[in-house]
Amino acid sequence: MREDNEKELPAAPEGRIVVPAGGLRLPASPRPPVINAWSLSLVGAVAVLVFLCAVWPDPYLDILAFVPGGLLITFEVTILSICCAVPLGLLTGLGRLSRSRVINLIASTYVEVIRGIPLLVQIFYIYYALAMFLQVSSLTSAVVAISFCYGAYMGEVFRAGIMAVPKGQNEASRSLGFNRFQTMIHVILPQALRTILPPVGNECIAMLKDTSLVSVMAMPDLMQHGRSFAAKTYLYFETYTVIALIYLIITLLLSKAVNLMESRLDYYEKRK
Amino acid sequence: MLRRLCCSLLLSVLFCSAAHAADKLIVASDPTWPPLEFLDDSRQVIGYDVDMIKAVAREAGMEAEVRNIAWDGIFAGVAAGKYDIVASGVTITEERKRAFLFTKPYYDVQQIIVVKKGETVKSFEELRGRKVGGQIGTTGIFVARKSGVDMKISEYDDVGLAMQDLINGRLDAAICDSPVALYYANKKEGFSDHLAIGFRTNATEAFGFVVRKGRQDLVDKLNKGIDAVRAKGIEAELIKKWMGE
Repeated sequence: MREDNEKELPAAPEGRIVVPAGGLRLPASPRPPVINAWSLSLVGAVAVLVFLCAVWPDPYLDILAFVPGGLLITFEVTILSICCAVPLGLLTGLGRLSRSRVINLIASTYVEVIRGIPLLVQIFYIYYALAMFLQVSSLTSAVVAISFCYGAYMGEVFRAGIMAVPKGQNEASRSLGFNRFQTMIHVILPQALRTILPPVGNECIAMLKDTSLVSVMAMPDLMQHGRSFAAKTYLYFETYTVIALIYLIITLLLSKAVNLMESRLDYYEKRK
Repeated sequence: MLRRLCCSLLLSVLFCSAAHAADKLIVASDPTWPPLEFLDDSRQVIGYDVDMIKAVAREAGMEAEVRNIAWDGIFAGVAAGKYDIVASGVTITEERKRAFLFTKPYYDVQQIIVVKKGETVKSFEELRGRKVGGQIGTTGIFVARKSGVDMKISEYDDVGLAMQDLINGRLDAAICDSPVALYYANKKEGFSDHLAIGFRTNATEAFGFVVRKGRQDLVDKLNKGIDAVRAKGIEAELIKKWMGE
């Protein structure tokens, strides 16, 4: 940036500073490039989808008209699961750092057990195996299974984020008279949030994709709509191309949202 | 010299494999459809369809090898040439005929609505607004959708899961081919005590073996095999053995 300014300054005689007519300008903050991986993927996905529908409206428009009926279920499961998994992850992370041995043991056991069982098995277990004792709807089973699974993963993310805050912050806060709870809420967590947000956003995107597993419970989500359409018409290539593109577009939008949140939180990195 | 040797070796290998492929018939079957095809205790695919296609193949001068393939991708696999035919209780429909070749019909079925024991359902109209389940991509689901009655239809990966959910109380009815429905309602342990037949649709469907487009030669061979199996009375024996009628 300095070179830019030097170029704009008129040649000054030795030892004198000449201020240009418009006053000294602050260097413009660099604009992010228009073409990056994200925009390329999004434009590409939308373009392919539009192209397919324009050139072969016969199968593709039918698929596009049929399939998004499942989007609502996909979103419903994702949003409810995020709402349950994030607090569960925070509690687990705090539990893993707790000084109480009992709480620590409970949180650690939960993480070890859930992390060791595939999500698909958990879904089957909650929906079909537990049905002998407890009848829950497919939506409840889906949200419970996904948030329990991701709660465990997020617990580790939260733990890592909290541990990454320098110890001095804790000591300084305690010496200023904050108790442990206040220190956590007002000092540690706000700083940890910056580290935690990208991986948690990542988990949320993974969660959205994993909701496609709920179709085994006969839930009519996006994937199930696609399978049902393919089973009826035998257009496997066309149907799954559209399904893949729709998932891609949604996750790209979600990753942009996470990105925006991240950039709002990087107040320490911002240019002065 | 070396080149000639290689060429002749290659040719003989090609020829052998081609000859080998001619007498082996690779069959795909989804063993979730008792008594037409299901797994026995040693995880072998058994059932009416399996015995039938083995007999048909034998009469046509081939040897059938049955593979366990999930229903969800079974048609994609035959279209891609991963196996020669599908013998898995596939109803011949106009939509399917557009995408595949079928042999002549080998068994007739209707659709049956299965309900919980103690309940009576005599028509789709009585199921308006209620939950009906079946296996994804099967004619039961298609018939239920075409009935025009507004039902909540759930599509399961496996008809067994639909039956389980019916017993668990998450469904009001399940729909599937008549032999399968009768098997679950009358024979299958753990299910028959809880399930009963609601009603049977009037329209009759026919099962056929599915062959990839462009393999009319194989269809002709199999048709001759089916005729021979019928003429020799093997078909009647198999029906007695598996359907118990």
